Amino acid sequence: MTTSAMVLAVHDQVLASGGSSGDDGGFIGFIFLLSGFAFYALMYFRYRNADKRHRHESETEATLLNMKKGDTFVRSKTGMSNSRMSGANSHEVRGARRKFF
Amino acid sequence: MENPDPTSRAPEQQPLSSPQDQAPPAAPEPVAATNPVSDSWARGADSSEAPTPEPDDDATRVIQTDEGATDGLAKCSRCGATDISLNVATGNLRCNFCRFEWSAESANDAFDLDGDIGKLLGVTVGSGSSDIVPSTDEVMTFKCSACGAEVLIDTASSTQARCHWCRNTLSMNQQVPNGAVPDMILPFKVPKETAIASINKFVQKRRFFAHPLFRAEFTAENVMGVYLPYMVVDINAHARLSGEGEHQTRSYTVKVGDSQQTRYDADLYNVVRDFDVHVSDLTVESSSDRLEQITSQNSNNIINTIMPFDVENAVRYDSNYMKGFTSERRDSNLDELSPIAFTQAEDITRNRVNSTLGFYDRGVRWTQQDVNVRGQRWVSAYLPVWLYSYQQHKSNGKTFLHYVAVNARTGETMGSVPIHQGKLLLVSGGVEVAGIIAAIVLTALGI
Repeated sequence: MTTSAMVLAVHDQVLASGGSSGDDGGFIGFIFLLSGFAFYALMYFRYRNADKRHRHESETEATLLNMKKGDTFVRSKTGMSNSRMSGANSHEVRGARRKFF
Repeated sequence: MENPDPTSRAPEQQPLSSPQDQAPPAAPEPVAATNPVSDSWARGADSSEAPTPEPDDDATRVIQTDEGATDGLAKCSRCGATDISLNVATGNLRCNFCRFEWSAESANDAFDLDGDIGKLLGVTVGSGSSDIVPSTDEVMTFKCSACGAEVLIDTASSTQARCHWCRNTLSMNQQVPNGAVPDMILPFKVPKETAIASINKFVQKRRFFAHPLFRAEFTAENVMGVYLPYMVVDINAHARLSGEGEHQTRSYTVKVGDSQQTRYDADLYNVVRDFDVHVSDLTVESSSDRLEQITSQNSNNIINTIMPFDVENAVRYDSNYMKGFTSERRDSNLDELSPIAFTQAEDITRNRVNSTLGFYDRGVRWTQQDVNVRGQRWVSAYLPVWLYSYQQHKSNGKTFLHYVAVNARTGETMGSVPIHQGKLLLVSGGVEVAGIIAAIVLTALGI
């Protein structure tokens, strides 16, 4: 059995045994259960820096001029469960050259 | 889950303040939302908002950047020697025979690159950015004017060569359509010793999980000074973004079954931003190899990360700046690089507009993004990088080229260090076991 398979097996056992515990305890326990995977990912990106790229969107000089703004109230929405607007894309970056695969 | 029913707003749900800057001037009429997001980039010399047809080649203005440049022997104006190189400490060219120093003319001054971007109309390109003609030779032959011998310059890695008979240095400064001679060059500023120290420091911090072969073979002194090819782009555009934004008016908790959940109320607005945008010195790799940044296959993203460069300090191209360094030839044309530059300019535009969207604390969803490019200027440049490379031979027979790169202007350092996977997996497994034990203890204690 490989190391990763062994870790996964233990992982599954504890997940199964943790099912009867209370909600909060289960959540904190789940965070600890991910510690090995989180450590691997942290070290991988620290050494390989595969997530790094030039932040062209903020590091390139640009000036906006003659700004005209339009902000028109449409309606109120109530009882939403998400703290962020669905489909918000004002921070989206499409021109990054770096891709993982 | 959203409740789409419009409800009358209670007084406390009125916005505390109207959107940024209170009274929006003559609001452009809201645009009906469309999905998916629609973008359009129009290129043209017209300043009207309607997209204009792309200008034909005749409309392209060319800045002749190699005017007066000569190939062959480039001599020191004081003593006539040809042994000239960059003095990194001063940024000047120095005659290695009489120590006289001088600098090439600033590219901004020589080609008027720092003029008002708002006055840019149509397409302007430096003559060193012209399309590459595939049949152009990569290896050029020059006749040494000192002794008459024929000297070859391999433009794939340099624009200089030494005459093997009389030891004079021959330079290539006139542009040929193979991408070897750019419009401008940014000289090295960070000394090699500083780059070596930066690379050493970067790697030392990552030794524990580094591959043992890499640790044994790593020698920062093997770093090479490389001029890499880039395109520097200025863009004058008019943009109109429209969409929807949400401003939170209330948050509260509700009981769902046995648990408490948070709910949010918000006001929905139609948002329009209409403006001119000037993008200055957007820098894009112009070597097809460097443009490929798939991190599972290469580490070119490392070289990308050390941008930006202070390209405003670039000088008119002079091959003498290349002495002691190597270079990579540009092999991409404007039509391949334009989509990349325009997409990045769009990212920059969206990023800058965010400063006007502070009121919309739940976010903004742009549904229509129209950008009309009124003017664009392209200039090719060699930018300086200290590059340490390490070819990793994997157990599956494949190889992977890792880089540690230093921006030779700002000193910014980034790198990729090969990992000892077995060791990392073992330690990660140990951490996982410790985490599992901690989870069991916490669960048993009911925490």
